[in-house]
Amino acid sequence: MRRISSSKKGKPYGNVKPKNYRAIYEEKFYDILLQLRYPLMTIIFFTTLGVLMLMIINQKTDGKSVLNYLFHTIITFSTVGYTEGYDTERLMLNRFFTSIFIIITLPLVYMYGLVSVVNIFMNSNIQEIYRYWRMYKNMEKLKGHYIVCNFNGITKELIKVLKKRKIKFVLIEPDRSKEEEIKEFGVEFYVIDEPYKRDVLLGVGIEKARGLITAFEENTQDIAVIVTARLIRPDREGFYIVSTATNEESAEKMKLLGSNEVIVPNIAIGRRIASFIFHRSTPILDRFLERIAYGERTDIDLIEVYIDDKNELIDKKLKDIKLPQETGTTVVAIIKENGKMKISPSGDTVIDRGDHLILLGHPKALRRAEEFIKKYHIETEAIS
Amino acid sequence: MIKWGKVWSDFFIFLALTSNVGFIFSGDPYQLIIALGVNLIATVLKFGAKKILAAELLATALVADLHLIPATILYFTHTHVDLAIGLAIGAVIANVISIIMLIIEIIFEYSKEEDY
Repeated sequence: MRRISSSKKGKPYGNVKPKNYRAIYEEKFYDILLQLRYPLMTIIFFTTLGVLMLMIINQKTDGKSVLNYLFHTIITFSTVGYTEGYDTERLMLNRFFTSIFIIITLPLVYMYGLVSVVNIFMNSNIQEIYRYWRMYKNMEKLKGHYIVCNFNGITKELIKVLKKRKIKFVLIEPDRSKEEEIKEFGVEFYVIDEPYKRDVLLGVGIEKARGLITAFEENTQDIAVIVTARLIRPDREGFYIVSTATNEESAEKMKLLGSNEVIVPNIAIGRRIASFIFHRSTPILDRFLERIAYGERTDIDLIEVYIDDKNELIDKKLKDIKLPQETGTTVVAIIKENGKMKISPSGDTVIDRGDHLILLGHPKALRRAEEFIKKYHIETEAIS
Repeated sequence: MIKWGKVWSDFFIFLALTSNVGFIFSGDPYQLIIALGVNLIATVLKFGAKKILAAELLATALVADLHLIPATILYFTHTHVDLAIGLAIGAVIANVISIIMLIIEIIFEYSKEEDY
């Protein structure tokens, strides 16, 4: 038999369509309309019938009379009911018809028709549906955003920083009971769904996203999310995944499976405590590096620049490069190829191949410095 | 198996066309009221249908209503009776299009049933 098969050129992650969150709420709106069908039909049917019958009984078809009959019909079934409001020769017949009409239309049109129309509107939460619909409509436009999985203490802190830096993100939380809390926390985009599903990740725009953060309490859930995300976005450079693990063994596994960075909370906390013991804070220099790293200070940043063996800067002294004068950044440390670190190198320090220069400065100046160092790169690829 | 919900809505869609045509040829006020009522019901019954062409079907029904409501007003105020007939003809065309789309939808649905 003829079959409209979907065996087009398959995608590496299988033939999964993105879940369309907007359409879900559009359908909810259609469901409200669907419920309105029969009540509205009853109202229209009996209005037409009433006008027609009054036209037949009174034998009048001029515009004024028809409008009077329409008015009469509506005040009858809506139980407003004063008398005819027009002169007629067949008053008794008219009233006989109206009596029967009221008996039929009071339950059908008033109780079933009008009351249920009002009821449907009152109970259907149209405002809520509209709110979701608008959120998901805007979510579809997101580009270069981050996906955050699970709403907990760790991600709450992360969300605060992302909001401060005005970075867009979508939160995925499988537990529906947390929805109120998420709403109160002021999360702009969220879905209540299972993040390890391909259609969910595609639905929140993973193909256009810049990275994904997964911080479940259980390693298995994190691994499921990492694997699914890497399946859709295999490029480690283009799509950045950060996750949390409860132990080092799982952390290693997550890295092998595709996570760019894995944080083990217990180890991180332990090291932080140690750092407080060895570096007592002073009022001015209070957690200086921490504030840079956590994005509290947006005017200063650290970057790392690698000097490969095709760079003209090799064998030059730091003071000859004039990096502070040219770009406004400072070399605070050099990490040698063998892993040894040279802190605050003097101007006479010579740059070797394989060095990593650690630069400190304003984000704009750092970008200038990167360009500056790139300029000295010898373009040999073009010749070969 | 006959789906009675479908009979109900299809019945009103066809009746909308026939009653409309009836008004054009008779020019009778009773027929106009019937045509208007039936057209409105046909519109309401298309609410919330989640099928292909649902939007188009609803649109044609609304077009028919927006022809017939002014036609009714014009007819009963005795200002432009000719125009009222003209508007009713417009509504008939909308009804015909709606029936064509209904048939397309039926064909699509049958081919889908064959597939799966």
